Amino acid sequence: MKLFTSVALAALLGGALPALAAQQEITWWDFFAGGDGARMKALIQEFNDENPDIKVKATTLEWGTPFYTKVRTSAAVGQGPDVMTYHLSRLPMGLKEGILTPITDADLQAAGLSQDDFYAAALAAAKGPDGTLYAVPFDIHSTVLFYNKDLLKGTPYLGEDGNLTGIDGLDSFEGALEAAKSNGSTAPLSYATGDDGGVYRVFYTLLAQQGGELISTDGQVLPGDSAEKAARAIEIMTKWTENGWQPEQALYEASVALFTSGKSAFFFNGAWEVPTMVDLSAKNELGFEWGVAEIPTLMGKQTNWADSHGWAVPIQGKSEMSAEKREAVMKLIGWMEKHSLDWAAAGHIPAYKPVASSPEFAAMKPNSNYAGLADRATYDPRSPAAGVASPTYDAAVNIIAPAIHGYMPPTEAVEQLKAELEKAMK
Amino acid sequence: MAMIRNQRRHRLVAYSLILPFVAIFALVFAYPIVEVIRLSFTNATLIGGGEWVGLQNYRELLADRLFYTSLKNNGYFVLLTVIPTTAIALGIALMVQRLSGRLQALALALFFLPYILPVSVVTQIWAWMLDFQFGILQPVLELIAGKPVPVFKNPHWVMPMVALVTIWWTNGFNVLLFLAGLRNIPQDLYEASALDGANRRQQFTRVTWPLLWPVVALVLTLQLILQLKLFDQVYLLSEGGPFNSSYVLLLMVYREAFQQNHGGYAAAISLVVFLLIVTVSVLQYQLLRIRGRK
Repeated sequence: MKLFTSVALAALLGGALPALAAQQEITWWDFFAGGDGARMKALIQEFNDENPDIKVKATTLEWGTPFYTKVRTSAAVGQGPDVMTYHLSRLPMGLKEGILTPITDADLQAAGLSQDDFYAAALAAAKGPDGTLYAVPFDIHSTVLFYNKDLLKGTPYLGEDGNLTGIDGLDSFEGALEAAKSNGSTAPLSYATGDDGGVYRVFYTLLAQQGGELISTDGQVLPGDSAEKAARAIEIMTKWTENGWQPEQALYEASVALFTSGKSAFFFNGAWEVPTMVDLSAKNELGFEWGVAEIPTLMGKQTNWADSHGWAVPIQGKSEMSAEKREAVMKLIGWMEKHSLDWAAAGHIPAYKPVASSPEFAAMKPNSNYAGLADRATYDPRSPAAGVASPTYDAAVNIIAPAIHGYMPPTEAVEQLKAELEKAMK
Repeated sequence: MAMIRNQRRHRLVAYSLILPFVAIFALVFAYPIVEVIRLSFTNATLIGGGEWVGLQNYRELLADRLFYTSLKNNGYFVLLTVIPTTAIALGIALMVQRLSGRLQALALALFFLPYILPVSVVTQIWAWMLDFQFGILQPVLELIAGKPVPVFKNPHWVMPMVALVTIWWTNGFNVLLFLAGLRNIPQDLYEASALDGANRRQQFTRVTWPLLWPVVALVLTLQLILQLKLFDQVYLLSEGGPFNSSYVLLLMVYREAFQQNHGGYAAAISLVVFLLIVTVSVLQYQLLRIRGRK
């Protein structure tokens, strides 16, 4: 709240002092608080230094529900930011709320960008159902598999080159978990088993690998045999608990700590945790050799959960943003896209192809280990019930997380999940 | 003439004295209430007018399974807290009253301290103490349950634990109310009853309890109102889960309004909660008063 008032106050003061040499002041909101936050702040600083005619005033808010609730209420009354980071999975809900402004061709031109510059999947996620662009994609980020090489030594799952090998299905993956356990790993597979995001992403990946659909484009929840596939996914995750392979009720921080402290051989998390490993390893604080790879094919189809960060320009209440300011905002967005190699250091894959296909990015480690997933990833369903801080995330912590800890049989959990999401879509 | 002018001036003074109150009351209470009632008949989003839809929100609410789950959970929580917290506060007040001087002040301060803390701090403290992996209270739970329990993620434990946290947090205020009530009972009554040969127990049931009854009724009513408004602790500790086993009415209002953007529907729920609290608390207070008069 304090943050909000100070932001509102800053906006007020900014509006009251327009005389300052026609410098455009842009209010920026993002939700990057971790290692990626430090990198984003450095980028903003660089932009401010290079562009004296534009001043970006950035505020970082709490990720998830707090961010999106605040964005909606403040934008609706005209106290919102001029530009904000936005999860593209959340776009359908943003459109339903009516708080996003379309990004026109003129806007893109002002940014020095064109639609062809972006990966198709990310671009599609940035569009409304009628094909209008509502955001500019910035990256593709997805779940990857981190692994501890020391705990896999002497098992068939670590190749000569020191990379993960021989995992081509659920059986071999579980074999690797068992092997790591006998090598002294107390929680062979770590992920945030007690959190909405951690549980949802693993569940969604297992569902997508079976070819299942959570919400179809025509708004059906778990259509066809997807319900059985969802139950199968929960069943697998329950087995991991029962066999003592994954931690019980681990929250996000605990799940990271389990891997970085060397207790876990495998770790499902977003590529955004790459900087954590890189930094710890550089300081010689990790205590083991680590690697990262695409999530192997466990259920037949090689794919994994993914989302994109993008930029969106919210409505300004009943008034409209001045053309000059909008141009400045677009200039900022364009600049960021062209500098997204620095952002890739936070583990992400740039959505802007000129950077993603550059030799600099190809040489970037460890991103190149999993860069191929950009073409194979499965995005969240295009539904207002899906995406960050949506009913699907609520359902993950309310239903799936307790179910995988044995409080409810998988089929029953799926029924409840279905009922909850159907209700949310009404 | 002078008298008339005098009267007019009196009236002016009177109006000017009540005006600030009336203005603030109208602005922050009467107007919002009228707006909530109006909103509850519309399909408004969180911000914006919406269209008139008549009783549709209420019909929808009565068919909403989550509404009954929440209602049941609210009822369960009231059972878990209202009478226990009142009984505990009375017990503590009786003990504290028998202390004297600095010791009494110290005991009182210890019991009152949690009440000063904001809810976020309270929930953080308990979330740490009960953390599944690292919580210092897990060995205690192990003694009771035989194994560590992730209390806020277990459908059976979650409500009783939230109730426990709530009682720990709010009890100090009730202790103060009871102490004030106890100090209001004239000392002579105890002396006289002692002369008549009454023992401690008799003194409590014949002197303390009847004279303290109005305070008991007050505490019970205040607690009922407070506990029906349960939201913060649940939002911060369990998010309504697992399996909606800690989902309560105000959480429903929050989710519908701020997450789902259903302003009209949320207004309808909050109005129902408001009427529920008014009805139940008036009813309870009247019942307690009737009992008190007998």
